[in-house]
Amino acid sequence: MRPFGVRPGVFWALFVASVRMFVRNRAAVFFSLFLPLIIMLIFGVLNFEGSTTIKLGVVDEAHNEASRNIASAIAGVESFEISTGDRDETLAALRDGELELALVIPASWGEMREWPALTAYAATSAQQDAHIGALILNSIVLRFFAGTTPLPESMVTVEQVAARDLGYIDFLVPGIVGMTVMQLGLFSVAFGFVQLKRTGALRRLFATPTSPVYFLGAQVASRLIIASFQVAILFGVGIWFGLQMFGDYASLAVIVLLGSVIFLAVGFAIAGWAKNEDQAAPVANLISLPMMFLSGVFFPRDAMPEFLANVTQFMPLTYVNEALRAIVNDGASLAALGPQLLGMGVWAVITFVLAVRLFRWE
Amino acid sequence: MATSSAPPIIFARDLHKRYGALQAVDGVGFEVAEGEVFGILGPNGAGKTTTLEMIEGMRTIDSGSAIVDGIDVSRDPRAVKARIGIQLQASSFFDELNLVELLKLFGHLYGRQVDAAKLLADVELTDKARSQVRTLSGGQKQRFSIAAALVNEPRVLFLDEPTTGLDPQARRHLWGLVRQIRERGHTVVLTTHYMEEAEELCDRVAIMDRGRIIALDTPAKLVGSLLGRGFTKERVERLANLEDVFLDLTGHDLRNED
Repeated sequence: MRPFGVRPGVFWALFVASVRMFVRNRAAVFFSLFLPLIIMLIFGVLNFEGSTTIKLGVVDEAHNEASRNIASAIAGVESFEISTGDRDETLAALRDGELELALVIPASWGEMREWPALTAYAATSAQQDAHIGALILNSIVLRFFAGTTPLPESMVTVEQVAARDLGYIDFLVPGIVGMTVMQLGLFSVAFGFVQLKRTGALRRLFATPTSPVYFLGAQVASRLIIASFQVAILFGVGIWFGLQMFGDYASLAVIVLLGSVIFLAVGFAIAGWAKNEDQAAPVANLISLPMMFLSGVFFPRDAMPEFLANVTQFMPLTYVNEALRAIVNDGASLAALGPQLLGMGVWAVITFVLAVRLFRWE
Repeated sequence: MATSSAPPIIFARDLHKRYGALQAVDGVGFEVAEGEVFGILGPNGAGKTTTLEMIEGMRTIDSGSAIVDGIDVSRDPRAVKARIGIQLQASSFFDELNLVELLKLFGHLYGRQVDAAKLLADVELTDKARSQVRTLSGGQKQRFSIAAALVNEPRVLFLDEPTTGLDPQARRHLWGLVRQIRERGHTVVLTTHYMEEAEELCDRVAIMDRGRIIALDTPAKLVGSLLGRGFTKERVERLANLEDVFLDLTGHDLRNED
């Protein structure tokens, strides 16, 4: 008999059992895999981008009567959804896919009866809208100069700017991935483990010479593998819906695993503390619901009142979501995610300590 | 049997366990010889389960000592667990796994490859091999949990109230199973609060009350000493009781337990 020391066979057997138990538990599979998938399909089909307006940024560098006149003429066009700003921020917004077209009125425009050409920067990602927008701009400028002779040589020149076309799906998928990681850690552990505690199945493991730490390890490992599968599925469906991945998958995996560790620790803290599912459920919901709505899963956190945004920026899921979006949408490397990684690291330590202190086998 | 020359396989001495204000076990000691079926009898709350769990290494011992197969439980509970089989009171298993998967998993926990089919055949659950535990009847669950306690071919099998909640047929069936296990050479320690069960199965019984052993002997001697003190039942002794009537009417066959 050699019941001591490290035994990979035991770990593997417990790992396989953990995966089987998860996959065969319909409620667990539904809530942690199908629910996020359904939410994604619903939001993906709804398509919040159905607007017919053209997003135009106007940069007025002339600041004179003529420039104000032409700007207000442009503002009168209903097809335009106009924002104003300086040149740099407007062009940055254009490249980020927030604008489709940017019109720059040069500083010398209208001074000394000079009418240099206006420049319309068109986002390559929204060619059709940008093209129509440029035509509308041309006609407005044409009307503006109506009656003056001679007409200026060129009125609007169009320049193409390489831009990303970020849709709602690009925003949604990283958020759903973050939410899934949270739900899997919180609920599959909090409920599954509490149930094993309550029924005595966990106690039965104590009757064997194998340390229950093996079982704990197998549970964590199985959840990490399951989380990776779920993220792969969500990404697959997301890409089918037009998701664009600008970052690398290795960085994504790091964030998913780190996020899983945080929420698994929270799940074990709840499971360790609670005596039964009725105690675990409200606590798990109390933790997950605010984050689901305030950590930017479905909607950008910019829309929040400032004080709320200030508070919720420190929530663990907020860090996870920010990091996932930076990787997926901006192609950020892990090195560029210092603040988020720090935030997640701090939460991982806090939740791990909590889990260790609260955990009880019986 | 306790007086045989071979060293006892279980040697418990002056065991104590306290839960807050409650002295659950208050100086319990006994020996169990190899091959014996030893019963601990007593009303609910007498300390039977706590005594058992201290010897199994499932609970820490406040004071006193328990030695199982030559190993001090306090010093090396894992080594003791490796040599014994434990059926917990109302023990449950992972719901999502079937019987074969569970037995194989438990085999791994003891570092063994198990013949799940043989274990299930021994407890007459062959046709339930691919079922989950929650679909079993009460008697089948108890039989399965005995099968799970046998995966490591234990030197001692501990059964904590194995027949509580079973109907008379299932109880008698389980008795037959315990006798078979004994015939295969396993030592069995069981708790019960059914007197006739102790009388049927046990070579010796310890009667516990309020954390202490108040009598310990063979069932025949315990009854004999009581009669020797001039005890007579108030009612006229009948040659059959209501359970005999029940079994006569309903038969000894196990019921369809699906």
